Amino acid sequence: MIDPYYLQQLAIGLSQGVIYALMAIGFTLIFGVLNVVNFAHGEVYTVGAFAGLLLITAFAPPFLVVLFAVLAFGAALGFGLERIAFKPFRRFSDEASLKSRAMRESTLMSSLAVSIVVREGLEIGFGSQMQTLPFDYLINKPIELGPVTIVTGDVIIFAVAAVMLGGLQYLLKRTRIGLSIRAVSANPLGAKYVGIDTDRTIITTFALGSMMGAGAGILVGLYYGAIFPAMGFVPGIKAFVAMVMGGLSSIPGAVVCALLLGLSEGLATTFISSNWADMVAYGFLIVTLIFFPQGLFGAGRERV
Amino acid sequence: MSLLEIRGLTVAMGLQEILHGVDLAVPERGIVAVLGSNGVGKTTLMRAISGIYSPKAGSILFRGEDIARMKSHEIVARGLLQAPEGRQIFASMTVLENLVIGGGRHGLAELDRVMALFPVLGQRRGQMAGSLSGGEQQMLCIARALMARPSILLLDEPSLGLAPKVVKSIFDLLAQIRSEGLSILIVEQNAKAALRIADRAAVMEGGRIVIEGPSADLAGDPRIVEAYLGGHVH
Repeated sequence: MIDPYYLQQLAIGLSQGVIYALMAIGFTLIFGVLNVVNFAHGEVYTVGAFAGLLLITAFAPPFLVVLFAVLAFGAALGFGLERIAFKPFRRFSDEASLKSRAMRESTLMSSLAVSIVVREGLEIGFGSQMQTLPFDYLINKPIELGPVTIVTGDVIIFAVAAVMLGGLQYLLKRTRIGLSIRAVSANPLGAKYVGIDTDRTIITTFALGSMMGAGAGILVGLYYGAIFPAMGFVPGIKAFVAMVMGGLSSIPGAVVCALLLGLSEGLATTFISSNWADMVAYGFLIVTLIFFPQGLFGAGRERV
Repeated sequence: MSLLEIRGLTVAMGLQEILHGVDLAVPERGIVAVLGSNGVGKTTLMRAISGIYSPKAGSILFRGEDIARMKSHEIVARGLLQAPEGRQIFASMTVLENLVIGGGRHGLAELDRVMALFPVLGQRRGQMAGSLSGGEQQMLCIARALMARPSILLLDEPSLGLAPKVVKSIFDLLAQIRSEGLSILIVEQNAKAALRIADRAAVMEGGRIVIEGPSADLAGDPRIVEAYLGGHVH
């Protein structure tokens, strides 16, 4: 019989991993389509959480309304982010420019700039300290599962993530916009020749990815009960690690690695101080880069 | 009136001008071949027509409408499709997915007709496009364009890197597609294969069209054959 303590830690790790997974999907989608790292993804998560806080304090709507409003807001954030930080660097449309190194590097800088401006803006507006969310909204009511106690948030986060993941797989495999996203990801020039509106497809991808990022932000806020302007940094890094471990452009790979990361951190805190738990992710990153430079699941799969 | 009429098309990449005022027309149900060696601007011309490059000057009239500054998806929606250089298929997706994407708003309405033209693609429909042979990839590339019900098909070097036997079967198919009412603009280094199916041909050199006329005249003029077509058309 396994000590209930470890099961408890596994449950905590799993819900942490699911959060990383939600973040990692957005990262990976955008990387798959444009071959660029969106450094502002962590801020989308933060802004999603703050938007939820403002909405709750202003109107106190039901939980589902908060969630859907934040998702919609996240999509709008993705739209704006693409327009401000990515579109201006995509002036030409032959294959050399669409995934060029120059575009990659300039958008690295522009998305980093957006991320800094947003974070500092939030600190000016709200202060850098923790903001507490109203107690009624928190998703931390305990649920007894035999020897393990989880909270409602674990279940909700898991359910939301499962729905989002399933929905995304359906979208990518079965719908026209999903096929367009995969086509742009596989071959942007080829996509132009078959009449896909690549700009619209890229914007849609940003909207989808940011929607998930913002959703993760508000869920985590309600789970822990507190949010702060720099809250997106660490999950952003973890999602980035999961993306690299999963092979950069594989969504299932990133999800599996995000879960692995969360579970490992959950278990690690039983052996090492929780201050050192972050080292697990960085350790994984280093090991992956040294021994599996193509990611844990190898290369040659479909992008996205 | 021609289906496609290019007037004074000038294309520049940065400061360097690649095409200097190209004039070319493709009549309804006609096949026009553009010949010439590497680097004379053939692919640039084709990319400009499909909206990948935006021209610096000139016009491209398709059914009388100037498409020269439209985006590629707007041009495709008007029925001008291209099987581009390098094929540009979606290698990590299945053959069928490539065809579905090619169908665009027409979906799979053309699937039976296209599969009848390329039976081999029917056998490989669940296979990754990247695992097809070169000839099959070229067929997929043409089939993908046909899924969108084009009224004109542009082909950029369909014979490149293929065995002579495969080239012949692809050109036989093109003749068959034309007999169903499609116009074709084909760019080729393989002058022999292209002149065999084309009604008219143009020879490009240094970003200009230097000779244009019925393909029989071009193929029959030894000086042209010697100077521009590698000396071995017959």
